[in-house]
Amino acid sequence: MAQTILTVKNLVTSFVLDQGEAHAVDDVSFTVDQGEVLGIVGESGCGKSVTSLSIMRLIQKPGYIKSGEIIFNGINLLEISDAEMRKIRGNKMTMIFQEPMTALNPVYTCGNQIEEVFKIHQPHLSPKQRKEKTIEILKKVGIPSPERRYHEYPHQLSGGMRQRIMIAMAIVCDPLLLIADEPTTALDVTIQAQVLELIKELRKQSQMAMILITHDLGIVAEMCDKVAVMYGGKIIEYGPTDMIFAHPRHPYTLGLLRSIPSLHQGPTKSKLYNIPGSVPSLWEWPQGCRFYKRCERARDNCQRTPPMLTTQDGHQVACYYPITT
Amino acid sequence: MTEVIRCHKLVKHFPIYGGILNREIATLKAVQEVSLSIDGGKTLGLVGESGCGKSTLGRSLIRLLEPTSGDIYFKGENITRLSGARLRSLRKHLQIVFQDPFSSLNPRMTVREILEEPLRVHKIFSEASQLQRRTKELLELVGLPLDALNRYPHEFSGGQRQRIGIARALAVEPELIILDEPVSALDVSVQAQIINLLLDLQRQFGLTYLFIAHDLKVVEHVSDEVAVMYLGHIVESGPSRSLYQNPQHPYTQALLSAIPLPTPKRNRQRIILKGDVPSPINPPSGCPFHPRCPKAQPKCEKEKPILQKIPSAIPTTASDHNHQVACFYPG
Repeated sequence: MAQTILTVKNLVTSFVLDQGEAHAVDDVSFTVDQGEVLGIVGESGCGKSVTSLSIMRLIQKPGYIKSGEIIFNGINLLEISDAEMRKIRGNKMTMIFQEPMTALNPVYTCGNQIEEVFKIHQPHLSPKQRKEKTIEILKKVGIPSPERRYHEYPHQLSGGMRQRIMIAMAIVCDPLLLIADEPTTALDVTIQAQVLELIKELRKQSQMAMILITHDLGIVAEMCDKVAVMYGGKIIEYGPTDMIFAHPRHPYTLGLLRSIPSLHQGPTKSKLYNIPGSVPSLWEWPQGCRFYKRCERARDNCQRTPPMLTTQDGHQVACYYPITT
Repeated sequence: MTEVIRCHKLVKHFPIYGGILNREIATLKAVQEVSLSIDGGKTLGLVGESGCGKSTLGRSLIRLLEPTSGDIYFKGENITRLSGARLRSLRKHLQIVFQDPFSSLNPRMTVREILEEPLRVHKIFSEASQLQRRTKELLELVGLPLDALNRYPHEFSGGQRQRIGIARALAVEPELIILDEPVSALDVSVQAQIINLLLDLQRQFGLTYLFIAHDLKVVEHVSDEVAVMYLGHIVESGPSRSLYQNPQHPYTQALLSAIPLPTPKRNRQRIILKGDVPSPINPPSGCPFHPRCPKAQPKCEKEKPILQKIPSAIPTTASDHNHQVACFYPG
């Protein structure tokens, strides 16, 4: 049995705004084992990014982590000091973001920014060693002519190359957990394929666990061992990737899968399945099941929060009337 | 069916100014000798990665951008050099829906004002009662509640805003609508609603679409014909089914194999292209794709392949005879 790297238990992250207080992440629990890839999928505003920022303890005011536990490698991250957290963040637990241009500092060279990680987390290295290791990591993430790129600024690189620099920064300290928040959303499809291939390649070489946040079910199917589907701040379905794609049990998951046009199938110009209504904003989330207003299977008791039911093989679903096939 | 729009060797270059005297120092070759046509009531899907010139082509086609050279024909009439009143009356027939429903609607105008503006500009209706009837009709067509009329764009979600953008384009009863990435800014569950709406409207009014998108799954679903663009060139075009099931150009093949599909545990042969798209300011010689092409030969570096019918050696069905590819070594 692989060791569990991260356990998130009943996490609630709340935002206090003029309109009142709202739980952007509401009672979310999951685990990630060593070497495992967990995909968190959902549409905009479902709380997937807030979940990842909570794990990194990067939630800023007016948001705060209200309750729950985040246990990383045996340490409860919500109980340690900021100084201790800084030793973990960027070192054993790292993150890459969607937009590499805004995540990189435009006034420092790429080499400089990667070296900064060594300066902070491995201060014993000499400047020469630092440079050597940086060039080595640039090579590892597939940057051509790394010696030259070392001296270049982010604006001189293409989007795909920038994302490779971000990945390099995230893996220099051999992290136990890498959180990737929409790592390829800003990239073109052929560049996306390159970056996904790189991530797969890197994972083969290490025991690094990963949380991959995305709205693209195709990427989940391709990359992840298990999936958490989020809607309205809650995980509504959770389980092994194969099972969720083969037998989705929550009406929302099924709806999402059915609304993607599939390649080479069916007559073109036919009507696509669609989920009625639109994704409600934080302030419009209904009581009880967050999905019931858009749900075809909804009945009266859906206005009470459905419990997380576990079916066979660890497939969990939060629905009173799950799909059974 | 009769052809609605056609362009012949359309070229669009953008000058780049620089230096102390602000002279033209370079040219960005956005669209290079593109010829295409769309029949009435049909959809041409235009795919390609960012910067390949697909939006520029769409905008040049309806004279929102002045083409550098080439000719554009609307229902057989050359519209390349129309100006003044004649151009303005042409615009009624050619409309566009933009990608970003957040920046393409004026935040200071109510939905009523947004929908009435094209009707007033083109002097289609002038009486208040007619305007009112038409705006209500438009809202119903795109599935928005009637109380939307007096609200502002910020009060709507992304999908609803895109419906407003579609209603605005429909207001003047156009024949051709350029759909420039109409669903890429939307959530998956909303995307399907907008696609269905566009298909319904096409059926109802016999609209002709140029559907520009980078999502190949969506394009296959909505298009009759598809054209693949790379660095300002159309590298492959043909009936949707034929192009998707039997792609001939190495770039099309790579694009299709790069799409992540929502079916886990399937071993797909994937073609990973090396490197990035070159700059359209300094495009490569010969075939624009040769630096990234897994099949490139010395010839590809020197000569530019032209778009032509696929060689008869490759078996095709009757509907495939329009399938064209710009490659020396297709298949």
